Amino acid sequence: MAYSDKVIEHYNNPRNVGQMDKNSTAVGTGLVGAPECGDVMRLQIQVNPETRVIEDAKFKTFGCGSAIASSSLATEWVKGKTVDEALEIKNTDIVKELALPPVKIHCSVLAEDAIRAAIGDWKKKNVVAGEPASAPVAVAAN
Amino acid sequence: MTVVAEPSKKLICWSCGSENDADTQFCANCGKLQPYIPADYFTFFGLPRRFQLDTAALEKQFYRLSRKFHPDLYARASADEQRWSLEKSSVLNDAWRTLRDPLARTEYLLGLAGIRLEEQSRNASDRAAESGTAKQPVVPPDLLEEVFELNMQLEEMRMARAGGADDPEARGSLEAAKQNFSAQMETSQQDLQRLWIEWDSAANANDEETQQAAQRKMVDLLNRRSYIRNLLRDVEAALKG
Ligand code: FES
Ligand SMILES: [Zn+2]
Repeated sequence: MAYSDKVIEHYNNPRNVGQMDKNSTAVGTGLVGAPECGDVMRLQIQVNPETRVIEDAKFKTFGCGSAIASSSLATEWVKGKTVDEALEIKNTDIVKELALPPVKIHCSVLAEDAIRAAIGDWKKKNVVAGEPASAPVAVAAN
Repeated sequence: MTVVAEPSKKLICWSCGSENDADTQFCANCGKLQPYIPADYFTFFGLPRRFQLDTAALEKQFYRLSRKFHPDLYARASADEQRWSLEKSSVLNDAWRTLRDPLARTEYLLGLAGIRLEEQSRNASDRAAESGTAKQPVVPPDLLEEVFELNMQLEEMRMARAGGADDPEARGSLEAAKQNFSAQMETSQQDLQRLWIEWDSAANANDEETQQAAQRKMVDLLNRRSYIRNLLRDVEAALKG
């Protein structure tokens, strides 16, 4: 199976690889995995508590090229968005942008799961008045 | 692949009209090949649905049936019989490949029990996407942490090895990691066998609760196993490279 140019580009020049202090209250960490292929992905966001804007994002993925490209793209997309805007990112957007074939869709799902897990973790640390603290939130999925 | 409930009806031989069990391949009375009726692989082989299986006996049965279904034998038979012999030969091969392999068999029988491993994760993702919440873990979060950490260490070792032409220390830690992962694969194999026994005896005793508990443990085990298998593959590649 051939990777699209965009996947190869992200694969060769992944954006925002790295890690943040997961104990910081400003940081949300999402660790997700796909048992079907055994790949794991960690995506972290740093959020401004006033504006709820995601000011920085980092990822580290042990997985296939599509998973690396998906998470790289996800970090680019969440930056500058508020957490609520970031929740709107759908794996289908990633599929379209990277021209992923059907067998690689689950790799993009992993990235969407990671965004949501990271935001969930951040929300859990920053229980905001008026927002249900009981919303089901998992730091890690899969 | 279609999975059909265990058949209960009788089968009337198309040739001589005598009554046979529904999963009969050849009429007990006249010996004619019977129509192909989609059935699960256990039924196809006339086996009870159990995880433990006598693979030696299965192998004999496989060779015996592949001779008896062989399309060459039906070259001059009716068009129906020719078609059934082809259909049965093909299902026989699939059934054999699936049932002979312990892991494929486990996943298959779990599937018959209504559990699809790949779907579990996908369903959890779908539910999370619908409700806008974080995905409920399909495997214990601790395991993911552990797998992630192991991957990090592995990457470091690989880099150390790539740096120094053949740093004996880096090689040593890779070898140790390899042994560790192989040992874990070993253990998971043994644990799986224990769960087979648990499930099979519960099935014999009609103890559904125990069966379901054993099923859940099998799913956890298989998920964990797929992560460890990847780590093992990566460490082996690093040692070779
Ligand atoms: S193959 Fe599993 S994440 Fe891509
Ligand atoms: Zn007959």
